[in-house]
Amino acid sequence: MLDFMENVQNAFYEASHWNLDNSYGALNATARALLDFQTPKGLRLQISSLAAPNFATSYTLGNVGVVDGSVSYLYSSLPLRRKLTSSDIDLHHVVKGYRHLQELRRPDERWWWEVWHNGKRVDRRDTLLYGRIFLPQSRLEALYLRRLTPTRQLRISAVSDSNLNNGGTILTLLQNDSGKYSTEYMYSTDSALMGIRGLYNFGADPRVSPTEPVTAQQVAEIVHGRFSAGAELYYGLLNKSGGISTGLRFTTLPNHTGFPYTMTLTLNPLMGNLSSTYAVKAGPNLALCSRFDFNFYSYESELQLGCELWRRRRSTEVDWAVKKLRPDWERPTRARDDDVSGILKARVDHHWRIGVLWEGRIKELLFTLGASLDLKKREQVFRAVGIELQYSS
Amino acid sequence: MAFNFNWSPLIADTSRARDMLTTALNKSPKPPIIVDDIIVTELNLGSTPPELEILEIGDLAEDRFRGIFKMSYTGDAFLTLKTKVQANPLNTYLSTKPDFASPMPLAAASGLTIPLQITLSDIRLSGFVILVFSKQKGITLVFRNDPLESLKVSSTFDSIPFVRDYLQKVIEEQLRVLFMEDLPAIIHRLSLRLFVPEYQELEAETEERLEGTHDSTAPIDPLLTPPQDAVDAFGNPIDASQILAQSLDPTSEMHASFSQKNMLRLAALSESQRTLSLFTPGIREVVFRAWAHNSDRPDSGTVTPGLTQSSLSRIQSTFGGVRSQTSSIASGSTGQDTYSSRPTTGSNYSAPTGLNLGAGRGSRQMHKRKKRVVDLRKSKDVPLSSEVNTPLHSTNVSDTSSIIPEEREREEELSTPPETPVQPSLHFEDEPSRLQENPTIASTAVEGLLPAASFLTDPPKFSKAKLKANSPTHLHDLASEKKERSLPSRSPLSHHRLRSSQQATSPLLRSLSFDKVSSLSSSGSKRPTSPPCAENTSASGGILEQAWMMKIANEIARKVEKEKNRERERERSRSRASQSSSKASATNAHGGLWPLEDELDAPPAYVA
Repeated sequence: MLDFMENVQNAFYEASHWNLDNSYGALNATARALLDFQTPKGLRLQISSLAAPNFATSYTLGNVGVVDGSVSYLYSSLPLRRKLTSSDIDLHHVVKGYRHLQELRRPDERWWWEVWHNGKRVDRRDTLLYGRIFLPQSRLEALYLRRLTPTRQLRISAVSDSNLNNGGTILTLLQNDSGKYSTEYMYSTDSALMGIRGLYNFGADPRVSPTEPVTAQQVAEIVHGRFSAGAELYYGLLNKSGGISTGLRFTTLPNHTGFPYTMTLTLNPLMGNLSSTYAVKAGPNLALCSRFDFNFYSYESELQLGCELWRRRRSTEVDWAVKKLRPDWERPTRARDDDVSGILKARVDHHWRIGVLWEGRIKELLFTLGASLDLKKREQVFRAVGIELQYSS
Repeated sequence: MAFNFNWSPLIADTSRARDMLTTALNKSPKPPIIVDDIIVTELNLGSTPPELEILEIGDLAEDRFRGIFKMSYTGDAFLTLKTKVQANPLNTYLSTKPDFASPMPLAAASGLTIPLQITLSDIRLSGFVILVFSKQKGITLVFRNDPLESLKVSSTFDSIPFVRDYLQKVIEEQLRVLFMEDLPAIIHRLSLRLFVPEYQELEAETEERLEGTHDSTAPIDPLLTPPQDAVDAFGNPIDASQILAQSLDPTSEMHASFSQKNMLRLAALSESQRTLSLFTPGIREVVFRAWAHNSDRPDSGTVTPGLTQSSLSRIQSTFGGVRSQTSSIASGSTGQDTYSSRPTTGSNYSAPTGLNLGAGRGSRQMHKRKKRVVDLRKSKDVPLSSEVNTPLHSTNVSDTSSIIPEEREREEELSTPPETPVQPSLHFEDEPSRLQENPTIASTAVEGLLPAASFLTDPPKFSKAKLKANSPTHLHDLASEKKERSLPSRSPLSHHRLRSSQQATSPLLRSLSFDKVSSLSSSGSKRPTSPPCAENTSASGGILEQAWMMKIANEIARKVEKEKNRERERERSRSRASQSSSKASATNAHGGLWPLEDELDAPPAYVA
């Protein structure tokens, strides 16, 4: 389950019309959400609040080893309107699962952002500031996010920790997203790592609005999916080492008539690593994912399977009545997640390492129960068990 | 002086060293680039031995050595390791970084593990080595500085400069840790296996015990099993119920009783030591050692696993009381210290009261002793001065009392100071039959011996024997015998009164009592060789007391030592004269008079 502060940041992205999915880094976000989820360790409590539309605080208390905790504050120049109280938060916002990609949105025009007052431009760039200190480790995380232009965003994240080399590290990330393609440039102070990432979406350019009338043929050829390709390149100036990878993705779009699915294929030519994922949303409540890794230098392979299941409560009193409703009758609209009793995520790999996560909402508390098991180690099957509780107002 | 180092047998079998190296290398946290266990596949010590230059020799004996060397090695030893490494530098780099500021590459950081074989050769070492060898403790080898000068690392990745440099750096770091921390431990363990045969048994035993089986496989210790013809430390027969009671009392009591046969043997042994006799009775499970310094005496426990710390120190302190109390007090280990300090303080206390009751054991006596400790602190100056003259006798008496619990109460009421020779002689008169018995024991012991100079090797048993042989033994016998006899004649009322008063004292003090503290310390700190003792770790919270007692004990020890030195001078001259006459007859003639004990010379091993 997403941290409250991550949720707030996502709300900021949403409010500033930034598409998180249109990045090479998010190419296999679905597979990662279904296969690489973190299982909690020990007990963690989080109390948070969006005190004002521009200001959020969060306090965490955990007992991993010793009692530790964190205090975080967030300021956003853009008022955030998303519902963030734990009682009526949208579970789809906090539970990362199958990411159903939407049609690409045409980026805002520059002049849309201009605000003039008395002949002067008075508009400001949207900015987000976030800081979090972990105690008693005295580790500080800081984030500076700024929407420079409608197609550009600057993200500077820093960690200060005495345990790290040079006492900390700073990562600067400049992101450009013009819909059709997106590029990212990064620089990390740690070993002077430089990186570049790019993603190209095949298909129609969302910036070019069709001016000619749509022909019948074009209607018939309506796009059901999107094909994207991307690459990344890193080079550390100080340690003179680098990394490279390329990736492909095909995903169905909402106007696809069958069940939605996503396929990705990534390749690391330097290390010989080939990874393919296939994720399918088999129903409104079920998503399945598989990943196969193969290294053609060492012939090592790995297989992982995962699923996500939304369990919904049946209100038995009205079931019979609902059954009698004609399908074309309009049902009373109600909140989508009201009947969700919990979301089960599970993954297993070919080493019989199992991770299980049970997330949901009880009254006004969001909870995450998780365990990771290793069936091969008979003496210690449970490797980690934990529970996380979140409350926000 | 020359040393002959035999290098070739070291080269012969390195399989065990390989195993130990493997575990040592995998113990410390590995750098992220190494993703599998490090396995030592080949280890060759080479044909060139290291050059050793002796800088200093601190201690030298047949079975002990302490010295400082300057070592330099330019030999042809090599070591081959096998492991798996992460070949993707981005992966290892990111694994140590916090996620928050990580670039989060999609697939550029995917791993590639490569089996790696590393050969370490051209090892150049130079440094100062401190080597301590003792037959009981094995070899302790410590590097004073970082000995690694240079090293050649050749691996599968020699063609990639970055990886090669990285490996060289990482391996050098690991090796430095190995030399400074792990190698001394490995050598120590290896040497223990080599020199101390009990070590392996003990290892197995400890494992068994860890598994929870409180095995009664104590046959290592013939003294542990209740002897058929049980006697206490001073030759008095102990009846079965007493043995039972003692064995019920945890570990510390276990060894209070010895078989008469063993006592005789030990007596003979000690006599042979003292009379240059060539005859040494065969005693099982005993390693004979050279005349040792006091500091080496704690080691003796390693040789005789059967003796618990408690019994050992009791005997030693008794003995030390006879001759030089300091020797037992000044002994090195903490466990020993606390224990041996016990009789001392007991005697310390008893000096003002007139009779020593200090070392009584059993739960009833414990709080009593505790009280005495408090008393001691208050009137520290006064008893100390008087104590200097009398520690010997009082200690002896106290030990007697401790072994036969009933005596204690009786003793408590005796007001005659032990230093007055009248008291023992009283016993003597009381108990002529007993007197007759004892000399026969001693005399048989003496007679059975041929004059020779044999190295007496087992201090605890030796001291036991000494105890037996010395005239104080008879004294104890007499004293205890007399008390036993006279006990019924006492009015039972006083008896009860005393007991009730003892029981009235708080149980808390009892729990903090000495026996537990010292047995705790002895079981915890060292003495892996006395398994029964190690189990007695239930008591807690006596640390302060222990520390304080040690301090006091050391203080007393110093004073006693001074006194002893003076006395020794006197005795030297006297003992020469008394040596001519047979010891047994001398004891007989004097009838256990206290001054006589002073004449009995301690072997040099126990003279501080």
